Amino acid sequence: MEINKGNMAEEMAVPGWKKWLEGVGDQVGFFINFFRNIFTCGFEWSEFVRQCYEIGYRSLKLVGITSFIMGVVLIVQLRPTLVAFGSTSMLPKTLAVSFIRELGPVIIAIICAGKIASSIGAELGSMKVTEQLDAMEVSGANPLQYLVVTRILATTLMVPVLSVIGDIIGLFGGFLALNLRDSMSFSLYFTKVVASIDFSDFFPAVIKTIFFGFAIGFVGCYKGFHSNKGTESVGIAANSAVVTASLWIFVIDAIAVQVTSLLFYK
Amino acid sequence: METVSTNTDQKDTSKSKKEVVIAIKGLKKSFGKKDVLKDINLELKRGENIVVLGRSGTGKSVTIQCIVGLLKPDGGSLKVFDDEVADMNDKELKELRIKIGFLFQSGALYDSMTVRENLEFPLTRVLKLTDQAEIDKRVEAALDSVGLLEAIDKLPSDLSGGMRKRAGLARTIIVNPEIILYDEPTTGLDPITSREISNLILSIQKKYKTSSIIITHDMECARIAGDSMMIMDDGAFIAEGTFDDLHESNNKIVASFFKDIL
Repeated sequence: MEINKGNMAEEMAVPGWKKWLEGVGDQVGFFINFFRNIFTCGFEWSEFVRQCYEIGYRSLKLVGITSFIMGVVLIVQLRPTLVAFGSTSMLPKTLAVSFIRELGPVIIAIICAGKIASSIGAELGSMKVTEQLDAMEVSGANPLQYLVVTRILATTLMVPVLSVIGDIIGLFGGFLALNLRDSMSFSLYFTKVVASIDFSDFFPAVIKTIFFGFAIGFVGCYKGFHSNKGTESVGIAANSAVVTASLWIFVIDAIAVQVTSLLFYK
Repeated sequence: METVSTNTDQKDTSKSKKEVVIAIKGLKKSFGKKDVLKDINLELKRGENIVVLGRSGTGKSVTIQCIVGLLKPDGGSLKVFDDEVADMNDKELKELRIKIGFLFQSGALYDSMTVRENLEFPLTRVLKLTDQAEIDKRVEAALDSVGLLEAIDKLPSDLSGGMRKRAGLARTIIVNPEIILYDEPTTGLDPITSREISNLILSIQKKYKTSSIIITHDMECARIAGDSMMIMDDGAFIAEGTFDDLHESNNKIVASFFKDIL
């Protein structure tokens, strides 16, 4: 493409609030187009399954290692405090509740934002730079349906799955850490963990990871799809996707905590 | 606009009877305060190859992007097969795009897919073909047309620049478009490969009876592949005619394109 469509001087003259409003408008339009394309066009099952594999399976190792370390670290950090109160037996419960309710979903979502949102942002940004998105559009195919719908739905499905797997691995890490200093059988540890968590701990945590997954996929796709043309834009899209997705995870978490406490912890 | 014509009047008379597939009148397009297209007038007839020459930034790529609806014009009329592109809804635009092939400068192959998958993509997603035997047959025929059958299972990253252009061309012709728009098809290629691509464009025109607009800076490509040429400058066409006619033009801008041609 030969024409520089952005006039820098003009862009600088546009007030910040106007740019912000335009950005919000673009995102709302993208959001509507996403839903429209789920329901109005044929679904790309093979690409969806491929994305589930890429997003889910290929993130499993990273999520597993991080969760395991988190479980170990939490037990090591919690132990001295609980020992001081003579409540060492409370360690499995404390770990399970804090990990399943809050730390597991949020930290795993942040890791996924770093890995998945950046990868989607860079991939779609690169496709834009190399005119692959334009090529798809002028061929009569629908890039939103093929690239965006599949990726957003795959992250929405796989982040909760990764979160649940991460919770299990984290709790197992906690068990091993606990046995470094103390001695507790796996069956006792397992019984204490299961007894300490109930529906109100597990269900809201899974629900919020669905929203985390959606935010990660949506932000990654939006940033990649709306990147400028130029190699520098690929890096900007990837970076911006991680930062924005991470921010959204904390915003969603803050809202989810309020809603959960209203519904379950009156 | 200067119309340069010396010995081609008879040829033009026979051409004028052909159906006009693209008719552009007074096309305008601006980006911010910059008027990129000021007054574009063009007629592409069935079976004709028009070469568009012009310096970088004069609006050549913008013109062909308006034709496929990637950009919306600000004014003027742009009709493809007698239908105004700006008035088309999404469905009509999709149907039109099936009839128009677009070869991008880079080839724009989907880099996560093999050459075979790249070619299957428009067949399964756009033409909705489901018979794998039919799909394989068409993929192999298209690759054979561009002489790239041996690279069928390679990834775009394993192909050279010329091979990528050939693969892009195969993906373009696989849906049997009536019109092909070429955006600098020989840019970045060595002279021998450029000549091969130019000859390929010509053979595709003859084999598939396509009409084409070819944007290029490559005079050899213009000479080989074009039936007529149009020179663009500052958002408008300033001259048109055959290669030989324009070669003899006294217009300073036109002459500058031919200064290295003997």
